[in-house]
Amino acid sequence: MTMNLSGVSRRSFLAAAGAFGAATVAVPRMALSQDGKVLTLRSYSDIQVLDPAFRLSLPEGDIITAIFAPMVTPQPGDTWDWKAVAVDSIEQLDDVTVAFTLKDNIGFTDGYGQMTAEDVKFSIERFADPAMESPYAGDWSALKEVEVKDKLSGLIHLKNKFVPLWTTTLPTAASCILSKRAMEELGDKITTKPVAQSGQYLLAEWVPKQKTILRRNPDWQHEPGGFDEIHIIPIEDPATAERGFEAGDLDYTWTSVSSIPRLKENPPAGSVVLEKPSLAYVWLGMNQDNEALKDVRIRRAIQHAIDRTSVVDAAYFGAAAVGNGIIAPGLPGSRDSVTYDYDPDKARALLAEAGAEGLTVTLDILNQSERLSAAQVIQANLADVGVTCEIKQNDSGTFWTLGAKEGDYFMNLQLILSRFSMQPDPSWATVWFTPEQVGVWNWERFNNAEYKDLHEQGLVESDNAKRDEIYKKMQGLMDESGCYVFLTHEVVGAIHRDTIQPGLKPNGESLLAEFKSA
Amino acid sequence: MLHYTLSRLGLAVLIVSVAMLILFSMIYLIPGDPAAVALGPRATAAMREALRIKMGLDQPVWVQFWNFFINAWQGDLGNEVLSDRPVSRVVLEQLPYTLALIAGGMVWSVALGIPLGCWAAVKRGSLADRLVGVLSVAVIAVPSFVVAIYALLIFAVSLRWLPAIGAGEPDDLGDQLVHLILPSIAVGLGWVGYIARMVRASMLEVLEAQHIRTARAFGLPDNQITYQYALTIAILPTITLLGVGIGQMLSSAVFAEIVFARPGVGKLVYDAILTRNYPLVTGAVLVTTVLFVLINLVADLIVGALDPRVRSSF
Repeated sequence: MTMNLSGVSRRSFLAAAGAFGAATVAVPRMALSQDGKVLTLRSYSDIQVLDPAFRLSLPEGDIITAIFAPMVTPQPGDTWDWKAVAVDSIEQLDDVTVAFTLKDNIGFTDGYGQMTAEDVKFSIERFADPAMESPYAGDWSALKEVEVKDKLSGLIHLKNKFVPLWTTTLPTAASCILSKRAMEELGDKITTKPVAQSGQYLLAEWVPKQKTILRRNPDWQHEPGGFDEIHIIPIEDPATAERGFEAGDLDYTWTSVSSIPRLKENPPAGSVVLEKPSLAYVWLGMNQDNEALKDVRIRRAIQHAIDRTSVVDAAYFGAAAVGNGIIAPGLPGSRDSVTYDYDPDKARALLAEAGAEGLTVTLDILNQSERLSAAQVIQANLADVGVTCEIKQNDSGTFWTLGAKEGDYFMNLQLILSRFSMQPDPSWATVWFTPEQVGVWNWERFNNAEYKDLHEQGLVESDNAKRDEIYKKMQGLMDESGCYVFLTHEVVGAIHRDTIQPGLKPNGESLLAEFKSA
Repeated sequence: MLHYTLSRLGLAVLIVSVAMLILFSMIYLIPGDPAAVALGPRATAAMREALRIKMGLDQPVWVQFWNFFINAWQGDLGNEVLSDRPVSRVVLEQLPYTLALIAGGMVWSVALGIPLGCWAAVKRGSLADRLVGVLSVAVIAVPSFVVAIYALLIFAVSLRWLPAIGAGEPDDLGDQLVHLILPSIAVGLGWVGYIARMVRASMLEVLEAQHIRTARAFGLPDNQITYQYALTIAILPTITLLGVGIGQMLSSAVFAEIVFARPGVGKLVYDAILTRNYPLVTGAVLVTTVLFVLINLVADLIVGALDPRVRSSF
């Protein structure tokens, strides 16, 4: 990665500059994927770690599943389902046993030979090995062992029934298969130089902070990737990415939620604007251990003081709907309503009953425009019932440590506007509010033994109707605590050229290997 | 000249050392646990502690500073926390992009600012002089990020003449130059005004000097008097200003790099601060500090070489 500025004469430099200037003025720039060879899209961060067990971000997970064949992958479309990639067959034999057989012609690059069941055993057990200290060990927390039956087949033995296996473990990077021999030779985690790749695409080039190039794997003998090359451009700011798309430099990008109405109303020529339901959840939390908020009547008063519709409309310009819990529509446990309504009179009465008239609170938020808009409406709602609210904006580095018990701020934390994302299983939402998570990610310090029991029941219950009941009850307990005002699940916005067909999960997350030409 | 050069070098070393101390202190005043931020929500307490130890955050602050100070003077800026790549390598990968951006901005500002300043001085009191004055103040007053956004919307989004994002293909000089046009205008436009104002003021002073009057009395052509005799003297304060200007362009480069999604040191520092990547923040800021000090050192030495009065004051 160098800038080749040497070896150019003044005359040739001027000629080149002049020619390029004239060319750029004469011919407007065109979309990059028009020839169907190269797809250029935006990711919100650059790669740092391409090890499935240590990935740091969603874009890394997306690249990992394109270059290291996973056993299964999410099916692109509007319903949560999966399809086989590296396996010929995979099925649950009983509550604790899964049988698999690999396709017989998947190879690793760099001379590491054919993918075998030994590689599956190594890759999965590596995740769960406590010595590896993988942040994703929980994905395989129910794993007992992987038994190799023959070269291509084996059995995954679980310690107990684990329903999220098929929703949030197997169809993710947690089922990517690495070469045992390559990893043992490497002796460390994979960073930005992958070894023994095996997917539909291969990482061909990485220019730090500028682009990552995936190239179609010439040895892949199954459903091929849709493009010769995929260029992934790291752009943190969604507005910059939107301008890049409008200028013809990108074929696909996520957009900010607040841009969706504008783009829908006036889409750039030759483009398609998408709106997908998000799995994320946004809420106003209250720290129940903070001195000023210890009385549940005060917390319930704040619940009644907030006009959730106004908050969500102000923050997302009408693009997002009001949410009623932490579990998104379409998943077991999704609710149609909360147990508190917008009732300022009731809020004032509860505050008076608790002797908290003239209350002053702080509201910590991340310094993003959507959060600030939401916070300002919350501030106005609270002022209406006699509560003074001071908004404190934080950069992401500060914000994500505010409620951690290792810090010195967690007991002073009062109101907080939070957003978590999740995988398509309700347990991924409920896990962060258990007693074990107090001071970790449970910053409201909500501490309820019944909630914890229900969470554990949900992990082993495979009947969807019963799961629905369990998770609804858990959110009811959250309502009762007064610690939560549920706001929205947001919406995911994306825009793409009409010459491509993006491969997207139902929640709008991209599946690089599933992008095709239209 | 030797005494002057050594004294400027000594001052440069002192400035870099003080900057290192301030930089190190500021980083530790920012709230937020770098290990927790780096590892994300799924990391256990044990993993966070292990990373804290790896980053040396378990050691007393003065030990951390001493290690940083000694290693930095030896050129070792440590390794990045997560990818484990040497910080010096990461920074040096990004530095050419920022230098190209600043050089581009400087070319615009010098190429337009100096002739405009000369013209305004020669046409003192005329409509042209007043027009240059108004334009200079106007471009100084407009922040570089506003220029960046409007340039992008007009030339990239509406007209589609120029690219909106990126720095061009690494092995394609033409592509890199095309990608440099809009960001360098954003970074350099304000400096057209500064330089024009400075050159005009210096030229007016010099044009009244005895040797210029003598040259006129000898009947030398106006262009020769202006550019050969007056400008060579009037340019001295501008050279000093350019040294400072490059430092300011470094900060403007952050906005340009974000708005145009260009790689570069400014964006690298911005991202590293958000993720509390301490080794990268300290390394990148230190490199830019050294760069800034070096540029000012060179500017001082040039002025010293051109003006004996400056040398003799040391």
